[in-house]
Amino acid sequence: MDNILEDLQPIFRDILDQPDLVVTRQSNAHNVDDWDSLAHINLVTAIEKHYKIKFALGELRELENVGDMIDLIQKKLGR
Amino acid sequence: MNDYRWEDLTLGLEHGFDAVFTPEMAAAFALISGDTNPLHTDPAYALAAGYASPVLFGLLTSSLYSRLAGVYLPGKYALLHGIDIDFNLPCFAGDLLHCEGKIVFLNEAYRRFEIKATVRNHQQQRISKALIRVGFHV
Repeated sequence: MDNILEDLQPIFRDILDQPDLVVTRQSNAHNVDDWDSLAHINLVTAIEKHYKIKFALGELRELENVGDMIDLIQKKLGR
Repeated sequence: MNDYRWEDLTLGLEHGFDAVFTPEMAAAFALISGDTNPLHTDPAYALAAGYASPVLFGLLTSSLYSRLAGVYLPGKYALLHGIDIDFNLPCFAGDLLHCEGKIVFLNEAYRRFEIKATVRNHQQQRISKALIRVGFHV
């Protein structure tokens, strides 16, 4: 699970254009600058490409923070 | 104009078209953008810089990517989300250009897809390449 969080750091830094950003399991669109709706789609797309997985809209709607995303990725990867 | 819906799209679906820009179009772009750089607007300056005529604005020729999404792929229902562009070679008014693109990624959840596209001249040289991110407005 920690590895997934580490995997996600460069993705978030790149998409949100914040080289020094460090996201935590509690990070979400409300407490991270510039995490707007378009950035969110770009994040989801980048994560799908990175892990070669697909998310359903219903799954994404239930996510409240990065921690939830990590749990969902872990589930899809069967870890 | 095409009117593809999400359900019609498949990986590998591609479209292309030809285009030619005139000096008048370049002048109009200079007026609209306010970019009056002499490489694009002054024939004598362009000649001195090593070009036979003013170089077309990269963002003018890249407007073909807007046409690709808005008219062809998917066409009528397009909503452009973003474009990453590299400008590989200069081109000039009167050059016959060919723009084409192919769907390379489909994001089911948000119904957003990505097109890899190029603009080439009549010698098949790559003028620019782009990754275009497109959604639907309805």
